[in-house]
Amino acid sequence: MGKKMKIILKCLLFFFMLMTLSGCLSAREINDLEIVVGIGVDKDEEPGKILLTAQVVKDTAGRASENGSEGDGKAFWNVSSRGNSVFDAVRQITYKTGNRLFISHNKAVIFGYDIAAEGLEEYIDYFLRAHEMRPTALILVAEGRASDILNIKPEIEKFPAFNIAKLVDSYVFTSNFYKVNMKEFASCLMSDTSAQMAPLVSIAQDEESNDIYMSGMVVFKRGKMVGKLTHDEVRGLLWVLGKVTSGVIIVPSPNGQGKAVLEIIKAKSKVTPEIKDGKIVIHIKIKEESSLSEQTTTENLADNKALEKIQEALAEAIRREIMLTFDKSRELDADIFGFGEMLHKKYSKEWKYIKDNWDEIYPTLDLIIDVEARIIKTDLLKKPAVPSEGEK
Amino acid sequence: MFGYILRKIRYFSLKNKNDHMLQNNEPGKDHNEPISHDLKKSLEVIRGILRGSSDITIHEFNFGHNRRYKGALVFIKGMVDMEAIHKNILQPLMYDSLLLQGNVDMDFTKMDTIRKNLISITESQKVTRLGDLLDNLLAGSSILLVNGSKEALAIKPGRRESRSIEEPGTETVVRGPREGFVENVDVNIALIRRKIKDTDLCVEKFVIGDKSKTDIYIVYLKNIANPKLIEEIRIRLERIKTDAILESGYIEQFIEDSPYSIFPTISNSEKPDKVAAKILEGRAAIMVDGTPFVLVVPMVFVESFQSAEDYYARPFLASVIRIIRFLSYIISTLGPAIYVALTVFHQELIPTQLLISIAEGRERVPFPAIMEAFLMLFIFDILREAGVRLPKSVGQTVGIVGALVLGQASVEAGLISPIMVIVVSTTAIASFVVPAQTDSGTILRYIYLILAGIAGGFGVIMGLLATLMHLASLRSFGTPYLWPIVPLDFSGLKDVFIRMPLWIMPERPKAIVWDDVDSYSQSPGLMPSPYKKDSNDSQ
Repeated sequence: MGKKMKIILKCLLFFFMLMTLSGCLSAREINDLEIVVGIGVDKDEEPGKILLTAQVVKDTAGRASENGSEGDGKAFWNVSSRGNSVFDAVRQITYKTGNRLFISHNKAVIFGYDIAAEGLEEYIDYFLRAHEMRPTALILVAEGRASDILNIKPEIEKFPAFNIAKLVDSYVFTSNFYKVNMKEFASCLMSDTSAQMAPLVSIAQDEESNDIYMSGMVVFKRGKMVGKLTHDEVRGLLWVLGKVTSGVIIVPSPNGQGKAVLEIIKAKSKVTPEIKDGKIVIHIKIKEESSLSEQTTTENLADNKALEKIQEALAEAIRREIMLTFDKSRELDADIFGFGEMLHKKYSKEWKYIKDNWDEIYPTLDLIIDVEARIIKTDLLKKPAVPSEGEK
Repeated sequence: MFGYILRKIRYFSLKNKNDHMLQNNEPGKDHNEPISHDLKKSLEVIRGILRGSSDITIHEFNFGHNRRYKGALVFIKGMVDMEAIHKNILQPLMYDSLLLQGNVDMDFTKMDTIRKNLISITESQKVTRLGDLLDNLLAGSSILLVNGSKEALAIKPGRRESRSIEEPGTETVVRGPREGFVENVDVNIALIRRKIKDTDLCVEKFVIGDKSKTDIYIVYLKNIANPKLIEEIRIRLERIKTDAILESGYIEQFIEDSPYSIFPTISNSEKPDKVAAKILEGRAAIMVDGTPFVLVVPMVFVESFQSAEDYYARPFLASVIRIIRFLSYIISTLGPAIYVALTVFHQELIPTQLLISIAEGRERVPFPAIMEAFLMLFIFDILREAGVRLPKSVGQTVGIVGALVLGQASVEAGLISPIMVIVVSTTAIASFVVPAQTDSGTILRYIYLILAGIAGGFGVIMGLLATLMHLASLRSFGTPYLWPIVPLDFSGLKDVFIRMPLWIMPERPKAIVWDDVDSYSQSPGLMPSPYKKDSNDSQ
């Protein structure tokens, strides 16, 4: 009896000792949370200070959309504060919210254009260091001020930050930009040679509506913004990275009278760097499959001869897209493709000589592009919807 | 401080021992004296011992040649079949004995003579001691006393009334036998005998209870049940010294392995098919007179998740339902705890949209989440208890009021958040899925909830580990409680999380039988397939 009792008491003692060892045992009722779904960072008018905008979920979010009488009908609250650093600003927000921000559910961090131009390294540290911050939060650059982007109430989504996250995810349909999260951005930032990219988000300057849209990507070199890539240029990059998932390519029809519109179904890439006679050559092999999704001529494109010609044109178009992007990157002198890292892996001995001069070497690279494009189907129609005279 | 507590405990345990000994020394009613040959004196003694209770009937009569024998029949009204007494005892004695007058040498003071020649009831017993006489009388026998004889005859006329065999209320099945045990233990044993028509089926009788003298039977299959198990049951049953055994639960509490554990180590059932199946696996059933609940030992934890119907239905749905039962037990114990841990400590683990709707729901709730959970669970347990004890017609009212109080009014009044209602009601429903573990589930639910309120997910994990260690340490009559998971036994695992087809499971459970001899309950290779002529011909 006594022995058993001793064991039980020992177990209890161990249990309570374990309790003192654990770190994060702070209970916070859900009512006391200021759930942040988006953060914007801008430069303040006052030099040296930043303006941090946090998008906080209102407790009454569910009811706000149902009856407009309650409040201003917004489900979110954009609360901002000035500070000397990001963390400083985050803490100063409590003057306005009364509670510490809860940023575990943050979907996106948007940097203002002026911050990006100045360089992100000063500002990004907190977002990687804070334990509540998710490494999967998206990173974006606003064309203009981030606070303006966060202020535009979307038509369908309740929260602008959710809307932006949804827009970023839509890259799979066009392959004209892509998704970058904090972790990916940080690992690019740690590379010696690779350039970093972040999607660019802009406000459409239409007369009536002011919607948010993804306008391309921004290229950073060592944390500083060096230029922008247009939609087409981004796809040129994605071909090489093998990240093209879908999208539309338009090539002229064989007789030159109309267009053949193709949908990318599948794309694969293989990149092998080679050092040959003191010159660096990059072999890029791309395999692509697409379907004929639309045609604007009366010509029958679904026969073998026509398809072959279209396939040739398609391969050429892809090659052109890649070269366009490569030219742009040469112009910016930013290794957005990550060729430097590939060389590093394959030629680790030579790399130490290349490394320090990479900025000079990069524009001299030779690209050998080999595209194998195939059209595998013509969707539901075999003949054009309006056949030409002769075909009838 | 610990020393003080230990001293206290030792003091109380010693005190209990002393009390027990005192009880034993109390002058018991040890009527070991022989029956007097003087009828009048005997009747006087019996009347005196029974304190002249008015339901004791003593019928004195004369019988035999020239009515020269004086006899008396003693019985308790209501415990005997009056018709059998009139027709099968009194009539033969008083009239048929006259027909035997030619044999004048027939001595009716010898009970054997009476039994062999006159009494037309099979169940009769000669007693010579007063104690045995009284035991039989109180158990429902009629006692025949004859003047000048030192013996008495205890005759058990007919059967006592018994409830008809009905479908049990606790373990209803869609497919399977609908019969259930009744309060009469003889009927219950017969029900088992009807399932297992084997000479190896043994029935051992014990009488326990100084005052209740309840009949207890161990039923098992010789050669399959481990003899050590049966010996262990005998030893544990024999040491019970108590006034009364009113239900099998009394026996359970006196013989279980871990009386302080919240987990039951003895299973019970109301269904003969279920008990028969367990006996066939090498277990032993303990049947108690006066209750339809039959105890079966040894019990393993996974048994709680098995239903008789699992084996009657085809294995596919049975397996899915088996998994659902395990999940339900997890939900019923951990549901509120995980909700509290997530919403109070680990909000980052909740999907954003869900977090936002939880936050909306809790906007007006004034209590912390743990209070809310306690309140709801408490109300639920009140409702459940009220529903069980009330008559059916009133029970429905309680259900409706409960649903309104729980579901709607409390949410509208802002006392409880709607998500909490969902969590608690899901937990409540899930807790009914595994009836064998209801008590452990209910207690664990509160323990985990408190741990979650103190330390979040960390606390819940600590609680789970402690539970697991405790479960692994339990034994039920020599069988590890977590078998076949701990210790791992692959042949046993065929019937745990999924129920394999019957023809894949030919072995008897190893941890129960232990013996290698005859460990197969069916011949292996019984997988059904269409009859192929040539393949059989070639062999």
